[in-house]
Amino acid sequence: MSERPSAYPYVWRLPLLIWQGLFFVGPLVLMVAMSFWLVRNYRMEPDFILDNWDRMLGRGYFWDAYWVTVWRATLAAILASLIAFPASFALAFRVSETTRRWALFFLIVPFFTSYLVRIYAWQVLLAESGPINGVLGWVGLGPFTMLNSGFGAMVGYMTLVLPLVVILQTFSLANIDRNLIEAAWNLGANPRATLVRVIVPAAKIGLIVGCVFAFILSFGDFVSPFYLGGSKPPTLSILIIDTTKSGQQWPRAAVVAVMMIVTLFVVAFAAVGAAYGRRK
Amino acid sequence: MMRGTLFSRFYLVALFTFVFAPIVTSMVFSFNSDRFPTVPLGSFTTHWYQTAFARPEVWTAFGNSLVVAACAAALSTALGFATAYTDFRYGFRFKPAYLALALLPPTIPLVIMGLAMLAWLGRLGLSGTLTGIVIAHTVMGAPFAMAICRLRLSQMDPALEAAAWNLGASPWRTMRSVVVPFCLPALISAFCLTAAVSFDEFIVAWFVSGLNKTVPVMILEILQGNVDPQINAIGTVVFLTSMTLVVVAQLLILKKSAT
Amino acid sequence: MTTDDPLVRFDGVSKNYGDFQAVKGIDLTIGRGEFVAIMGPSGCGKTTTLRMLAGLETPSAGTITIDGNVMNDVPAHERDTPMVWQSLALFPFLNVKENVEFGLKMRGVEQSERHGRAMLWLERMGLKGFEKRRIDQLSGGQRQRVALARSLVTEPQMLLLDEPLSALDAHLVIRMQGVLTRLQKELGITFVYVTHSQSEAFAMADRVVIMGHGEIAQIGRPQEIFRAPKTRFVAEFVGRNNILPGEAPGQELVVAADRMTVSAEQPEGRAIAAEFVSEEFAGTGIICYFEGPDGAELKAQVTEAQLESLAPEPGKRFWLSWAPGAEHVMEAA
Repeated sequence: MSERPSAYPYVWRLPLLIWQGLFFVGPLVLMVAMSFWLVRNYRMEPDFILDNWDRMLGRGYFWDAYWVTVWRATLAAILASLIAFPASFALAFRVSETTRRWALFFLIVPFFTSYLVRIYAWQVLLAESGPINGVLGWVGLGPFTMLNSGFGAMVGYMTLVLPLVVILQTFSLANIDRNLIEAAWNLGANPRATLVRVIVPAAKIGLIVGCVFAFILSFGDFVSPFYLGGSKPPTLSILIIDTTKSGQQWPRAAVVAVMMIVTLFVVAFAAVGAAYGRRK
Repeated sequence: MMRGTLFSRFYLVALFTFVFAPIVTSMVFSFNSDRFPTVPLGSFTTHWYQTAFARPEVWTAFGNSLVVAACAAALSTALGFATAYTDFRYGFRFKPAYLALALLPPTIPLVIMGLAMLAWLGRLGLSGTLTGIVIAHTVMGAPFAMAICRLRLSQMDPALEAAAWNLGASPWRTMRSVVVPFCLPALISAFCLTAAVSFDEFIVAWFVSGLNKTVPVMILEILQGNVDPQINAIGTVVFLTSMTLVVVAQLLILKKSAT
Repeated sequence: MTTDDPLVRFDGVSKNYGDFQAVKGIDLTIGRGEFVAIMGPSGCGKTTTLRMLAGLETPSAGTITIDGNVMNDVPAHERDTPMVWQSLALFPFLNVKENVEFGLKMRGVEQSERHGRAMLWLERMGLKGFEKRRIDQLSGGQRQRVALARSLVTEPQMLLLDEPLSALDAHLVIRMQGVLTRLQKELGITFVYVTHSQSEAFAMADRVVIMGHGEIAQIGRPQEIFRAPKTRFVAEFVGRNNILPGEAPGQELVVAADRMTVSAEQPEGRAIAAEFVSEEFAGTGIICYFEGPDGAELKAQVTEAQLESLAPEPGKRFWLSWAPGAEHVMEAA
């Protein structure tokens, strides 16, 4: 196209810059700045003090919350990846094209149901006198305490991340060149060797992306740890909400938020390194 | 091989049972008379629907949710399309940074977005307004809309635009009569998906909303009280609304591509 | 096919992409009603040349004139240079008739006239009854004809074609070549046809422009290009000929494969000893491949009867010769 100086390209390019600059970068920058502000008489004053940082990072309960959150998110990411893999493998290799399409459709359905409502349903299902303990009671088991525990929180995390992880894994597995797998068989690899040496390496990026998404979502979620995990010990998200909603300690909440973002960046970069880094 | 297939079937059924257990449960319990449900189930009732929808604030919340979802979806789709088109059509300096800006929002935890938005919109005098929620939801929805539009554009023959210019259509006219029609299914999908995202989003909305509550924010507040099966009733209606949106979008796309 | 009445003139036209020069100062004149093929290997600048003519690229230097008007800064949509694309670029969301009407609609032609003209062209292209079909319901050949109708419905004075037949099956290519030449004669308009296939170019074009490395290597009628390639580049690109050292140092000769004689005994005059390598059936005859002195590949076209009498086997020694005057002396590279 012979382009005389024209407004045309900028009409498409600028809206994002303006909108995300104003309503995404702006808020995040303000939040980082806010972590250095002073709170006096329940009012925030722009300032540059390290007081909030000292207070938050100098407290045991922040670090307790930090490590609980990291640990749970890691566990959730690994667990979700492991639970999802056999299902994704089955969807990618063992079912017909039609079945796979329907399965993927049904995995998208949960995104259109309220996460809160699903968590509420688990609250009911997992209750001491709820249906699951009821059924277990008939066969003489339980009742088990499943709510307000690490187990409960993990059920919530799986509800949140499993469909997404299965979708991502299925896509990456289904996209592997079938010739690669047949070549492995042809060269005498048994099913286990084919899986470990051909399929998993070929689908590596998708598997890692799924795992990282599971980590990010679990790391930031507050509903599962709060309503199913009993909020004790609190996670970082619960800490932010408590700090924000009770009074004007936004600068301290901002400190927690910045710590979370830094952690996510580190994890994301490590994952990108693992996904695209040197392959043996 | 047979054993593997059998195991696969069994495993898939188990996984889907887990995924759908809470969804089905909430639908079933929305018609169940027990306040604290267990097995065996109580009797059939529409009591929870009646109670929930007799409350005027439920209707207000639905109204708010629909308005917010429609506005945020329209803005997200427009923004996402413009960005996807820019990526498809132009190369320029700092393009990786531009794309990072476009795709980063979903990686920021919602709680953090909520806090940042609360502080920022407060400065702009928009906190506690529906406008504030629309702004926040647009930031969150635009990357999804962009991804959907970009996928569609990558299926477009790059010569298509040039062919339209070649036949006498100006760039603007080409956008209107070639690029937009080509992307129409994606635009509809993007609209519905971002609407559904907005319709279900509660954390940022909760931070920002103040007195103007959307449906999920109200659910959140009911949840903070006691066990209340009204949540199941409201949740079922929300689910049906979202699914209707999705199915309608699918039908529109099918009809469009059939002509 | 006169160039005294030029429709298009390229004067010293170049196109740079950063440091890369895709087209290097070409001069070219195309006459009214002429069928010109621009041919060359991929990356030779032929498509860029065509796109500059259509206004899809802006020349970095030089001027392009159409009908006496300098076109350099006229945007694509204000030109009357419809093009048939390699991918055809038919609009998938429009039906056949809507595709054909597109150009008329953009030019503000009112609906009843649009309909009339589109239907006329659909009929002319043998697509009557297909007007409501979607593009993906058509065969390759039908799509080709829709693309042609879409470009010609506005009655342009020139049609640009960018490798339009490269996606078709071999038998359809021959048929479409017939369709194109007939159309061009009937309409009497200029066709500028870009291709990498010499059989397409030689079969249809009045004049062939050979491009290489962004420059025009030779312009001429198909026979001229084939019998008298100016440079080694042209001779190698055209193929089916033998490049031999000439008498003067640095000089090279070219002898077409069909003018080579193969004999078992050394003939009189100039002849080259070569070992037989293989033969290939090529429709009109059989091409025999030989290895000459210094490993040079030599080709000769023979008939089936000749092949039988020669009874060649790999490694067997033959003599290749040609009648005086059958050779052409090329310019030094």
